[in-house]
Amino acid sequence: MPELRPSPRWLPILGVAVLLALAALFQGPERVLTLARGVVRVEPSFRDLPAAAGWSLLRMTGSYLASLLFAWGAGYAAAVSARAARVILPLLDVGQSVPVLGFFPAAIFVFINLLGGGRVSLELASMFLIFTSQTWNLAFAVYEGIRTIPFETRAAVDSLGVKGFQRFRTLLLPACIPALLYNSILSWANGWYFLIACEIIVAGPVAYDLPGLGSTLSRAIAKGDLRLALATLLTLVTIVLVLEIAVWRPLRTWSRRFRYDTAAEEAGEAAMFRLPDFGLPALVRVLRGVARSVLHRAPVVRLGQALAATGRGSARAARVLRWPALLALAVALALATVAVVRALAPPWPPETASLPLALLLSFLRITAAYVLALLWIVPVALWASDHPRGMRALSVVAQVGASIPATAFFPVLVALLVDRFGGMEIISVALALTGMQWYLLFNLLAGVQRVPGDLKESLRALGLKRSEIHRKLVIPACMPSLVTGSVVAWGGTWNALILSEYVVYRGKAYEVLGIGQQLNRATFGTGDRTVLFLSLALLVVTVVSFNRLVWDRLYRYVHARYRLEG
Amino acid sequence: MLEFRRVYKSFTDRGRAIPVLDDVSLEIPDRQFVCIVGPSGCGKSTLLRIMMGLTPPTSGTVLYQGRALEGVNLRAAMVFQSFALLPWLTVQGNVELGLHARDLPEEEARRRAAHYLDKVGLDGYEEAYPGELSGGMKQRAGLARALAVEPDILFMDEPFAGLDALTSANLREEVLTLWSDRALPVNTVVMVTHIIEEAVLMADRVVVLTSHPGRIAADLPVPLERPRNKRDEGFDQLVDSIFEKIV
Repeated sequence: MPELRPSPRWLPILGVAVLLALAALFQGPERVLTLARGVVRVEPSFRDLPAAAGWSLLRMTGSYLASLLFAWGAGYAAAVSARAARVILPLLDVGQSVPVLGFFPAAIFVFINLLGGGRVSLELASMFLIFTSQTWNLAFAVYEGIRTIPFETRAAVDSLGVKGFQRFRTLLLPACIPALLYNSILSWANGWYFLIACEIIVAGPVAYDLPGLGSTLSRAIAKGDLRLALATLLTLVTIVLVLEIAVWRPLRTWSRRFRYDTAAEEAGEAAMFRLPDFGLPALVRVLRGVARSVLHRAPVVRLGQALAATGRGSARAARVLRWPALLALAVALALATVAVVRALAPPWPPETASLPLALLLSFLRITAAYVLALLWIVPVALWASDHPRGMRALSVVAQVGASIPATAFFPVLVALLVDRFGGMEIISVALALTGMQWYLLFNLLAGVQRVPGDLKESLRALGLKRSEIHRKLVIPACMPSLVTGSVVAWGGTWNALILSEYVVYRGKAYEVLGIGQQLNRATFGTGDRTVLFLSLALLVVTVVSFNRLVWDRLYRYVHARYRLEG
Repeated sequence: MLEFRRVYKSFTDRGRAIPVLDDVSLEIPDRQFVCIVGPSGCGKSTLLRIMMGLTPPTSGTVLYQGRALEGVNLRAAMVFQSFALLPWLTVQGNVELGLHARDLPEEEARRRAAHYLDKVGLDGYEEAYPGELSGGMKQRAGLARALAVEPDILFMDEPFAGLDALTSANLREEVLTLWSDRALPVNTVVMVTHIIEEAVLMADRVVVLTSHPGRIAADLPVPLERPRNKRDEGFDQLVDSIFEKIV
């Protein structure tokens, strides 16, 4: 979450500029479209569902592992070196807030150019995109985990002479596990969201072949086969739920051991909805036994020494390669500048004039969805604060709702709503609402639960009525959670604009004027470099400055003003 | 065995150097129980960390057995106020940490951990996690972890401050018993405390530190007979005279 961190002010701006420049450099919509024409379209069918699910899961796992590796490197570097932290943390912040989907076309182009347009390049492009939706919060988790190791605990481990791999295994890694696990769950939810989005985009306008649940869904809808679409959706929901029950839940219980405060405060949550664990702990024990015996046989000490040597070697290599690397970066930047200038060279196509209006309309649509979401979520959360049983049920609903990627519902929603209710304008708000509401509900319920019971009772003892308690205590106490939820919800919705403002159903394109629609059309329809670059730039600059100017400040203010001190 | 020669230590805060220890020279011989007392924020803990080799002095030299100390002193061990056990390892795992760091074979590490857990009265708690132990038992585990590496010198940073009165009194007695036990490898103990009675009760020698920055204000022997008691003759006078030096 955003925090006050001393770092150079220009850095985020530079980060955004570099990102945009690189995107511009690699923008090549014509090439992507040309390549796509050679692809033979496959008709979707029920038989492909298991394979599609497998491919989606594989893609997710691959990019998650890559995110984890990157996150460890970045988080660790930031945690151990103040100088590195001043550069890394703001960049992570930018990475977290940039609307990633906008860069997908650029990513496809880069990988196609590098690897020659085969299946591998598409796989890598989509995995790269999922990676960029998963890794930032994991890196923050590593950073926070290492930084929050109590001073004396660290000193104790050091005083025992514990070093290298043993220090990693006994101190650093365990210290990160609770935060890492919590954020892994978020990252997987995020990843599903983008995975489905990628597959829909690739299968839709670009018409590439990337087998997966998202592409099956998108093709079924485009063909008008609602039964197949629903079956795909069901498969996806089942996978997400099975993962939640069989993987995340047991891991969450297990990870409680890795907290410093071993007080029984979490006991309530554990008892709240204990689901069968399907013998997973036993399996984990067996696996751990195997891992341990392997670890004992393996020459761990020598491995540690080898790693340390590699580290020293790469440090030396980094010193030697510093100037060439900087030179290469400078060349890339120069090329990027040329590309930007070329993309922005007049004459500008007539669509550019409508971009500011498009941005405004998109903003208004998100705002409308946000207000609608709050209208039902705030009363529900307040009601839940007085009804513990209702709270339990709602928590499960919110958790499940937030873990199912909203992007998967987009095509189905369109199929159900189109021609029935007021056309695309309403549908696009409804789509934004679908993506937004669960994050808000999830966070608001967490906020309501955090209000101490004795504080509420003390107000009741003073004779305050229920509505007064809500107004004086519960709502103010929820403000930090509300802002946190809002940041996530808005971020997700900005990202989903590219999908929610332009939908193909039964061979017909439904669209509304908006920045997401412009981006989508420029990439996959007209192939116009200028519009593409301008709309992407407009979107990125808006989102980043909105985060910096509005959400960051609100977050700080609300945390200073409404924090319940324990 | 441990010698400080004109040690200075300062921390930098927003570019400004804040002195913590100022010109500390000190010699701690073998077989001595030394207490360092002083008001909070006088740099007692920093002094102990420098002795352990956890942090280097800004200037001056630290000699251990006549040689300059570089990095963590592997012949020493330390006990902390917050116990500083790793919550994700069992008691046994915590005690074995330092043994694995010294590349002891698995069997030997296990045997030694059991031995020292028995010494501190934690027999039967090997598989317990720190979260399941009371404060007193956690500190016993911390003590066992330090003793298990069989150090020549033991540092203790306010080891009883996190415990209730009764528990700390008990543990104090036990530490004294362990120290007088010739079978233990520990030769020398340096303990930091802010309770003067505790220092007079336990130490052979009391070093008084003043604050902002920390300087040695007094260095007194404690000539009282062991075992000591708060009602012993001369106990109160000694406490009072140390108290005056701090104020």
